[in-house]
Parts: sequence; structure tokens; C-alpha cells
Amino acid sequence: MDFKLTEEQSALVEAVQAILGDHSELTVSNRHGFCHFDHKLQHLLLENGFLDAGRDLGALEAALVTIEASRIPATVEVGASAIVAARLLPDERVEGPIALIGEGGLDKPVRNLPVARTAFVESGDDVLVLKIEAKDVEITPSIYAYPFGRFRTEPDLTRCQRIVGAAVQLRQWWRVALAAECSGTAQSAIAFTIDHVNNRQVLGRAVGSYQSVQHRLVQCHMIAQGIHFLTLRAAWSGDPAHADEAACYAQQHVQKFMVDLHQFNGAMGVTNEHLLHFWTYRLRALQSEAGGAHGAARSIARARWARSSMPKVAGGRA
Amino acid sequence: MEFGWTPKQNEYRQRVRTALDELLPDNWDEFYVKRSYASDEAMEFSRWFCAELAKRGLLVPHWPTEYGGNAGEDWEHFILGEEMKAAGEPRGGQYMNINWIGPVLMKYGTEEQKREHLGGIASGKVIWCQGFSEPNAGTDLAALKTKAERRDDHYIVNGGKIWTSYARKADWCILLVRTGSERKDITVLLVPMNSPGIRVASYSGLVKDGHLNEVFFEDVRVPVGARVGEENRGWEIITHALSYERVGVPRYHVGLEALDMMVEKLQSEGRWDDAVIQTLAGELVAKFEAARLLTYRVVDQRVKRQPPNTDANLSRICSLEAVQDLMDFIAQFAPDALAGGHLLLDDYYRINTPAGITGGTNEIQLDLVAQRGLGLPRK
Repeated sequence: MDFKLTEEQSALVEAVQAILGDHSELTVSNRHGFCHFDHKLQHLLLENGFLDAGRDLGALEAALVTIEASRIPATVEVGASAIVAARLLPDERVEGPIALIGEGGLDKPVRNLPVARTAFVESGDDVLVLKIEAKDVEITPSIYAYPFGRFRTEPDLTRCQRIVGAAVQLRQWWRVALAAECSGTAQSAIAFTIDHVNNRQVLGRAVGSYQSVQHRLVQCHMIAQGIHFLTLRAAWSGDPAHADEAACYAQQHVQKFMVDLHQFNGAMGVTNEHLLHFWTYRLRALQSEAGGAHGAARSIARARWARSSMPKVAGGRA
Repeated sequence: MEFGWTPKQNEYRQRVRTALDELLPDNWDEFYVKRSYASDEAMEFSRWFCAELAKRGLLVPHWPTEYGGNAGEDWEHFILGEEMKAAGEPRGGQYMNINWIGPVLMKYGTEEQKREHLGGIASGKVIWCQGFSEPNAGTDLAALKTKAERRDDHYIVNGGKIWTSYARKADWCILLVRTGSERKDITVLLVPMNSPGIRVASYSGLVKDGHLNEVFFEDVRVPVGARVGEENRGWEIITHALSYERVGVPRYHVGLEALDMMVEKLQSEGRWDDAVIQTLAGELVAKFEAARLLTYRVVDQRVKRQPPNTDANLSRICSLEAVQDLMDFIAQFAPDALAGGHLLLDDYYRINTPAGITGGTNEIQLDLVAQRGLGLPRK
């Protein structure tokens, strides 16, 4: 048990932070929407090999990159490429960005679909690898801070590459990826809120000096820390139960982040210009993915109580 | 970064489980739930049990060899705590000796105090109680009024303590007393519980037998040599002690054991297929696992000799929230368990009733993290 990053992992985090640093601010014009997908940053992350972290280094490293990339207010697609694709197709690269589509989700708005060039589609026990062209997709207006879109017509799945028996694996690594995004996103939303409540005065006092605010912010911080380490453990171990726990814990607490963080940002937080929604409305989008907290919780229950109740000893790393 | 146990740690955990299998009587569960680990009978049992653990090198494995330990890694101590708590804490109140009273004496005690007490703790034969809280000084510990007046080479102690677990059978008390007029003029004394002038009275409550005692001190004479650290400098010692106590109880481990029992009960009653019940049970596992990792983070910091910070408070808040959710789950879906239907779940519920209060209330933990951890303003 060692919670300290290795020198290589620290170097990786610093390297990705160096690139993200130039993209951590949103221009005034980009602040007025619900979402800003940073294509230039996406390209830089690809070009510098960060989206291959899952293949070249390991799932834990891919999760670290995903967490870091989720901290900025702009959106990029990292989790599906660095974490999910690396596990499903370890020896093959597919064109990104990648969208993830659950069973029966082809006719619904899908996160990242307007920017995606590939989709992994859950199909029974298998996963289909669907190539996408921009003309196939229409953008759907959304309050979520990710680009959302739907297929103009039902895509032809007959010519898709089929990864036989990979649906369980897709669900597992999708949960790790979404938990990683929740981790970085929640930590930034909390840091942003702490900054706001330290400076904003109400009735002659900083908002953050009120105990009712402090306690709820600590609870948010505690949850974000829990998500962080559950995610890293799930990435490290490759244990499906750990992935379920990370996603379940992240998704069951989205409502807490939404209510408390927006409450503490007050009326400022309902303007697009105030950056909070660029993080919180990503959390909202992630809340229901891969079966949501309910699906992950039932998966935990089925797995835990179908086998020994003895405390589990973690296995090797993924 | 590493989230697994080493083969050596796995072997160690197995060693502890084997010892528990061999040492606990066949009727242990029945014995334990009828009495609770703070009862007089359990305390007497702990003297034999801890002595046996000591013989096997499993009582103070992480202590330095000069004080009777094996100089084992801190993780061994923590694995030991997980297994003991999951087994119903057969060490009784002696877990406190091992977790923080011993370490406090190692850090702040005189050589004579170390000689006098650490050997006894390491042999498993001595029971201590903690004379901290008073009727008007619980959360606000610095408001304590029990007074010690210096008379030449000794102190005269007058006052009273409350909520003093294990006091009826304890041999020694680690006692906080007021020795000056300033708010934090507090001193730590080591007091034999058979000293003339000490009286213990028990009272009933929501938790089980043995936890709720009052201890009265009337002109109790304590030699100056029994003082730990300097006079009026006890606050630093308390802070140090509490930093150990906060992660001392692996609530996630015990909670998951209780949740397993709860699910077994629901399965036996044919109610497990209910999707709502499964969802809530799964969510509880995730909460306890989050608490586990936040606690392991603190142990890892301790292993690396990093100074205490508010991560320990955070781990405690996280554990408590999971515990309270589990208590609600039990009451909602197995109400009969709290009315004679399941003694171990009833025991879990009762023992955890004050979990948000003991060792510093949850609100204090939240304040500390807010102000010292997140840097939020005090005023």
C-alpha cells in the first residue's frame, strides 16, 4: 500500500499539467456557452502521446492523465481514448475522439458524439467499433458541459469491427474513465468554490466563514477525495468490483456537488460567465452513464454477495 | 502508487486470523454480544486474551523492540486492528493502550514512566481508562474543571470525569487536569485507579454495559513523578493522542462485516432480490471502501513519518457517514434486528450510537478540515 506517486508517475502528471496550463483559462467568448470543446488541446494531448498512456504505461497512468485533463474548464476527450480503448484494443489504435454508447443508446443524444470519429457501441455481450463522420451526426442542444449529438440516421452496424465478449470489459473501464473525469472535475469545482467563498462577502463576512457552508464544503471535499482514490485503485487493480465502487461512489454524490457548489456560488453561479457550470454540468452528464449509480451499486451487490464475504485482498495491477 | 498488500502483510493477516481462531472460545459471539467488550467479564477476558496475544508477538507488533514490540511496520498494527475489531474487539479497552497511550508515553514520558508502564501494556495485563471528558467539557475539552493543586512533591486532584469507558476494571487512568488559570493550562497525570479518593459509578444508556461511567476524584494524591510532560503543557499531548485515536478504529472493516450479516439475514428471509435493497447495499459498500482508502492514506502518511494533518479528520468523517447510513439501513430493512432478532446487528447499532461524538464530535472534525485543511476563514 503506497499512496505516493512514483517518480515516473509524478513526471507524467507534471508533463500533462504543463500542456494543460496553457489551456486552463477560457476566453471571454468561450465563456458564454454551456460547453467549450478544446480541439487544439485534444490534438496536443494526442500528439504528445498522453492518449496512449493506457497502452504505453498502464491503466493507472491513463487515469492520472484523465483526472488532470478533467480539471480545466474546457472539455477534451481523454477517458475513452486513454483508458477504455487501451483496454479493449490494446494492440490497435482507433481514431479519436471516442464516444461510448451503451446498449439501446444509438437513437439517443450521446456525449462527445459531435467530435467523435469512433464510437464503442455495446451490443449484447460484444462491443462494436463504429467509425463516424461529422456528417453522420447532428448537434443536440444541451445544458451539459460536453458536446452532445445524435445520429441523423441509424448507423449501419453490419460493417463494424466486433470485439467479441467485450461488453463486460467496456462497462468496467467506462466506469473507471467516468470516475476519473468526476474526480478531476469535482476537485476543480470545489477549488473554484473555495476561492469564491473566501472572497465573496455577505453580511460583512466571507461566505466561507459560515459554518453551514464550511461543513458542506468539507463533505464535498471528502467525497471528491474518496472518488479520487477509488478511481486510482480501480485503474491499478483492474478488478471489476473496484470499478463499480468508484463509479457508484462518484455517481451517487453528483447531486450533492450540484446542490452545494451552486448554492455557495449564489446567483453568480447561474450565469454562464461564472465558470462553475463548466465542471458541475459535466458531473451531471456523467451521473447516468454506464448504468449510473444504481447499476453500479447492483453490480457491487451481485458480485460481493455471490462470493466469499471475507475482505478481499487486492490482486496485481492492471 | 500501490493498492495491494505484500505477501508478508497477507501472511501477517492470516497469522492474526489463526490466533483469533485458536484463542476465542466457541461461544465467543454469544459471550461478546451478551456483555459487550467493555463489560466487566469482557475486560477480565481481555487480560488473558491480550497476554496470549503478547506471547505470540501480536499485541504491540509495531512498537520498538526496547518496549516489547517487534519493530514491525505500522501496517501490521493496522491489519491487527482491522481483524480484532471485526472479531468483536476481544482486546477490550486495551486497544487504547496499544494505539495511543503507549505511543504517548514513548514520546512524552520520562524514562521511569516508560519502564513502569510500557512493559505492562506490552504484556497485555494492564487496563487503562481515559479520564478526559467531563459533564461540561466534552467537545470543548479545554473547558475541563477537574483540578490538580501542587503541594510539594505531589498534586491533590479534585473533580469528576464522565463517559469513562472501562473505568470499573481499569488499573490506571490517563487523566487530564487543570493546573492553571489560562484556558489551556492542562496537565496529564498517570493515576492508579485504586488510589484513595477515587470512586467509579456506572449508569445506563443507549450503548452497552461498561462504557458509561463517572469517575469522582476527592483529594486524590498523585506524585509529581506521575506527570507526563511539563505542567500546563498537556494540550500538545492530547492533540498528539487524538491524532492517533482518529484513525484507530477501522470502522469500514467492521461496517462491511455488519453489512455482510445484514445481507445474509435478508437472503435467509427471501428479501434479497429487491432492487432497492440491493442498490442501497451496493452504495454502502462503495461508501465503506471510500472510507477504507481515506484511512489507508493516513496510515501510509504515518508509515512515511509525515506530520499529522487533517486527512485523519477527513477519514473519520467519511467512515462515520457510512456507519450512520448502515445503521439506517438496518433499522429500515431489518427492524426486528434491534428488537431481539439479531444480536450482532443490535450490538453494531448500539456500539455505533455515539460514533459521531466520541473522540471529538463530527462537527469539530468538519471545523478542523474546513479551517486547517481547506483554508476557509474562521470569522
